[in-house]
Amino acid sequence: FVFTTNYFPWLTIIVFLPISAGSLLFFLPHKGNKLIKWYTICICIFELLLTTYAFCYHFRLDDPLIQLAEDYKWINFFDFYWRLGIDGLSIGPILLTGFITTLVTLAAWPVTRDSRLFHFLMLAMYSGQIGSFSSRDLLLFFIMWEFELIPVYLLLSMWGGKKRLYSATKFILYTAGGSVFLLIGVLGLGLYGSNEPTLNFETLANQSYPVALEIIFYIGFLIALAVKSPIIPLHTWLPDTHGEAHYSTCMLLARILLKMGAYGLVRINMELLPHAHSIFSPWLIIVGTMQIIYAASTSLGQRNLKKRIAYSSVSHMGFIIIGIGSITDTGLNGAILQIISHGFIGAALFFLAGTSYDRMRLVYLDEMGGMAVSIPKIFTMFSILSMASLALPGMSGFVAELIVFFGIITSQKYFLKPKILITFVMAIGMILTPIYSLSMSRQMFYGYKLFNAPSSYFFYSGPRELFVSISIFLP
Amino acid sequence: MEHADQYSWIIPFVPLPIPILIGMGLLLFPTATKNLRRMWAFPNILLLSIVMIFSLDLSIQQINGSSIYQYVWSWTINNDFSFEFGYFIDSLTSIMSILITTVGIFVLIYSDNYMSHDEGYLRFFAYMSLFNTSMLGLVTSCNLIQIYIFWELVGMCSYLLIGFWFTRPAAANACQKAFVTNRIGDFGLLLGILGFYWITGSFEFQDLFEIFNNLIYNNEVHFLFVTLCASLLFAGAVAKSAQFPLHVWLPDAMEGPTPISALIHAATMVAAGIFLVARLLPLFIVIPYIMNLISLIGIITVLLGATLALAQNDIKRGLAYSTMSQLGYMMLALGMGSYRAALFHLITHAYSKALLFLASGSIIHSMEAIVGYSPEKSQNMVFMGGLRKHVPVTQIAFLVGTLSLCGIPPLACFWSKDEILSDSWLYSPIFAIIAWSTAGLTAFYMFRIYLLTFEGHLNVHFQKYSGKKSSSFYSIKLWGKEEQKIINRNFRLFPLLTLTMNNNEQPYTIGGKKEARITITNFGYKKAFSYPHESDNTMLFPMLILLLFTLFVGAIAIPFNQEGMHLDILSKLLTPSINLLHQNSNDFEDSYQFFKNATFSVSIACFGIFTAFLLYKPFYSSVQNLNLLNSFVKRGPKRILLDKMIYLIYDWSYNRGYIDMFYSISLTKGIRGLAELTHFFDRRVIDGITSGVGITSFFVGESVKYLGGSRISFYLLLYLVYVFIFLVISYFILF
Repeated sequence: FVFTTNYFPWLTIIVFLPISAGSLLFFLPHKGNKLIKWYTICICIFELLLTTYAFCYHFRLDDPLIQLAEDYKWINFFDFYWRLGIDGLSIGPILLTGFITTLVTLAAWPVTRDSRLFHFLMLAMYSGQIGSFSSRDLLLFFIMWEFELIPVYLLLSMWGGKKRLYSATKFILYTAGGSVFLLIGVLGLGLYGSNEPTLNFETLANQSYPVALEIIFYIGFLIALAVKSPIIPLHTWLPDTHGEAHYSTCMLLARILLKMGAYGLVRINMELLPHAHSIFSPWLIIVGTMQIIYAASTSLGQRNLKKRIAYSSVSHMGFIIIGIGSITDTGLNGAILQIISHGFIGAALFFLAGTSYDRMRLVYLDEMGGMAVSIPKIFTMFSILSMASLALPGMSGFVAELIVFFGIITSQKYFLKPKILITFVMAIGMILTPIYSLSMSRQMFYGYKLFNAPSSYFFYSGPRELFVSISIFLP
Repeated sequence: MEHADQYSWIIPFVPLPIPILIGMGLLLFPTATKNLRRMWAFPNILLLSIVMIFSLDLSIQQINGSSIYQYVWSWTINNDFSFEFGYFIDSLTSIMSILITTVGIFVLIYSDNYMSHDEGYLRFFAYMSLFNTSMLGLVTSCNLIQIYIFWELVGMCSYLLIGFWFTRPAAANACQKAFVTNRIGDFGLLLGILGFYWITGSFEFQDLFEIFNNLIYNNEVHFLFVTLCASLLFAGAVAKSAQFPLHVWLPDAMEGPTPISALIHAATMVAAGIFLVARLLPLFIVIPYIMNLISLIGIITVLLGATLALAQNDIKRGLAYSTMSQLGYMMLALGMGSYRAALFHLITHAYSKALLFLASGSIIHSMEAIVGYSPEKSQNMVFMGGLRKHVPVTQIAFLVGTLSLCGIPPLACFWSKDEILSDSWLYSPIFAIIAWSTAGLTAFYMFRIYLLTFEGHLNVHFQKYSGKKSSSFYSIKLWGKEEQKIINRNFRLFPLLTLTMNNNEQPYTIGGKKEARITITNFGYKKAFSYPHESDNTMLFPMLILLLFTLFVGAIAIPFNQEGMHLDILSKLLTPSINLLHQNSNDFEDSYQFFKNATFSVSIACFGIFTAFLLYKPFYSSVQNLNLLNSFVKRGPKRILLDKMIYLIYDWSYNRGYIDMFYSISLTKGIRGLAELTHFFDRRVIDGITSGVGITSFFVGESVKYLGGSRISFYLLLYLVYVFIFLVISYFILF
């Protein structure tokens, strides 16, 4: 190993801590689930504190370049480096990951079956996500990307609803299919133009390619990332997966996995292939607009609560895509803000849906109703969150969407008429969003209905859930 | 005096701590907070009073020589783009904030009693303060983005408050309807804001007006685009103020508690649309089409609201439609460019309507004890009648409100309505005729409500006679009045009409059943013969104060002629603003004109009142009354035609002009259909493709497996076949 930085290797520690600590889980004595839970939560909190500390003291906000960079030669003959580093783009997702994973472990307390494995997988995923957000090497990015698919697959296939195997298989097929394109793109980019494979982001960003080749690479990456994002024709794994998975898994999925797609879109497609990006961005915007409308109207037709939320997150991803496609700083900022804010809102919505499912044992919306009397706190949080999800001013979603709007408006690249049209259609999405989210909350909570379920279920509205929801709600 | 302006940015934030505190308290210490429930009302009212004093101070400054104060903070997003937040205080702001705070305080005091037995007492107060905060924020905001933010917040508060009794399905539907309809308006507003940002590059009102005027002056803008943007902006105001195409949410919004209807859906929030148009009037005024559009929408709403109010059974819905119609008057005035009249009417109407709603809330409160807590019963005017004896104070308040709304001279709305009406002559005769006749209609329907509620006999008890509701013909002949009501409920017809019809047949059909029913009542419903009681003092007090306001608010615009012209307070407040129509009409002959107009409008109002009396006169002596009506019947075929007309109008009105039905058929079904379609598409096509690929690969795999089955003979056969093919091919190639 060649140690090239003067810093203490913060990032490596941050990346490795969860998985190594998680593997210790298997050596813990069999004393029941409580110990495992507390252990995992402690690790998560420690990790979060560590990350925050490292970022507070070693990260300068005014510096636009890569910081906390680390560079080790890993495999000599292949020129493969262990390169980590963060900049302003990735600091947000990393902190988000830390925060949410902590809350997810907290939310996953009711999981009793095989909780040791469950928590280990959680921690493994944690590592993978931070790794991919902070990697500065294309191949490393790819490896991390693949690395966290495995825990997700296991989480999906072992804990969840009745059709979980089906949806897990669907998930893995979709993402693996996307990964093929990603690998092709990575190798193509790395092997192009020189005898030695170059996989460093910086050198790659400065390289220029023939236009045709760049477009081909771009399409490859786009397909790979579109599966993860998801962008419309490739989104069908998402509702199935979300409909079946345990809600803590849903939180992780909604929160971070989707964001990885958007992150990759910015990181690879925008930074490495700027020319192709400017060629493709009108298409991206069109797809994004269609996605907003399409997913919002599909969401209306869903009967399953979680699927409805899942489609709503598909619809929200449309704003991110538009923001990325609008090639302005403003639009990009809006997209990043939307990544973060939707991360919070989506995760919280899934969490609330899950907790109310724990009580009601009902999945379909038309069976529900009148729950507000029995679970007033969840009702309150849910209505606040659906307000946030329809971008009520004062919530983070509003700022993000507004900035995306400005990004589109101020974008120099497009003509007047398409711009008006796109803004108009986006704004129609603004009308559809309250329709589905409010009718969801209406069907769940409003009205009056007597339940046969024993009241002991309702008693469980403990401080744990309250804490989780409040802390998600805070931003 | 300067310091007051420096710190006036806190106006919207003064009431804010209450919702935060209550919310935290309810979430974290539910029991303790609930035990202290009545305590919370006091800080609420206190803070709002502070704001009121503050805004009074501001408006006094505005009167004594005022200018426009503005202060901004900037919030930078990145280098080339920044928002500026700040406050903007001019006469409009000060008027609105006084209005909001005064009505708000009285409604709070009132609702302390009204809601005292409700479980959600604290929640109610939290929402109320949140609403006050955002409404004050709306009127003090200095740029369009800020307006948009508070605009949505106000909409959210309205959503929460309409859905306050969330266990009622009707309330749940109503709140969603209100929010979605408002959201359509917001959509227009946002697009309009973005469009104007694109044109001028600014959100600040003053910069915006300046740049825009320059652009217009130099003819540099695309005219169609500007008109489009302006009408989109106007769409926001249309939705919020319940103007014609988007008015459907307002009557349904009456599902909320009555104090809410008084505060939000009569006095303040629905005035937000008027406020927005008034604020942006310098912008709209340079685009003539928009002004025409505004006045057109206004006049349509005036007429529609008045006709729809004619046959509502629910007292609050009737008032809601009348609100809509009055808002139409304001819109009309704005469209005509008479800014002053519109604002004046805004103020007077807000007080009168708040008074009316509070009084109706008091009625509902006293009726609830008798007929039950369902809004279909307690708000139904069918069950009311004769309340004058039982709730005298409320009756006086309601009467004053009604008279004011009808435009009877000494009361508030007379002055403002008269101003609008006389301005409308200057604008366009057709509009003026519609507006005048609607004034008559207003008087008619308001008195209909009043008479049905307070005059005659209490109908609740008689309702009990007719066991099942469907058996309308079983009711008793002698009591004329209630039977007509029952029929009204069942047949959805005009009461008078059914009465006249039944007069002919009832003596034969009913006859002997009378005694039986009466005896049943005597032992069955003894308890029900209690009469409604007057409400508590805490509810009466705000009503009386508002009554005083209604009496005297009109005075602020009465010109004091002896000191020279144009010295009334309101004009002083609004001098810098625009007055398109009569810049030079402050002459002496103005007062003559004024008297002429006034007598005319009063006479129209009196005509409306008289008609209402004729049709809904309480049936004290049934015999006399029957004779009278029978004489009506005997008047022959002409009468039948008239009946048909009336029937038509009432049917239209009862079905809310079929607009709701149209919307529900076209839009809701359309959206549902779209959702089904996309869902189907999603499942079958997009998912189908991938599943198809999966299944195909499965079959391919199966067949390959079959091919690759473990039979030696099969392999040998394949081998031989391939060798044979190879030989054949090589044979052909060689030779």
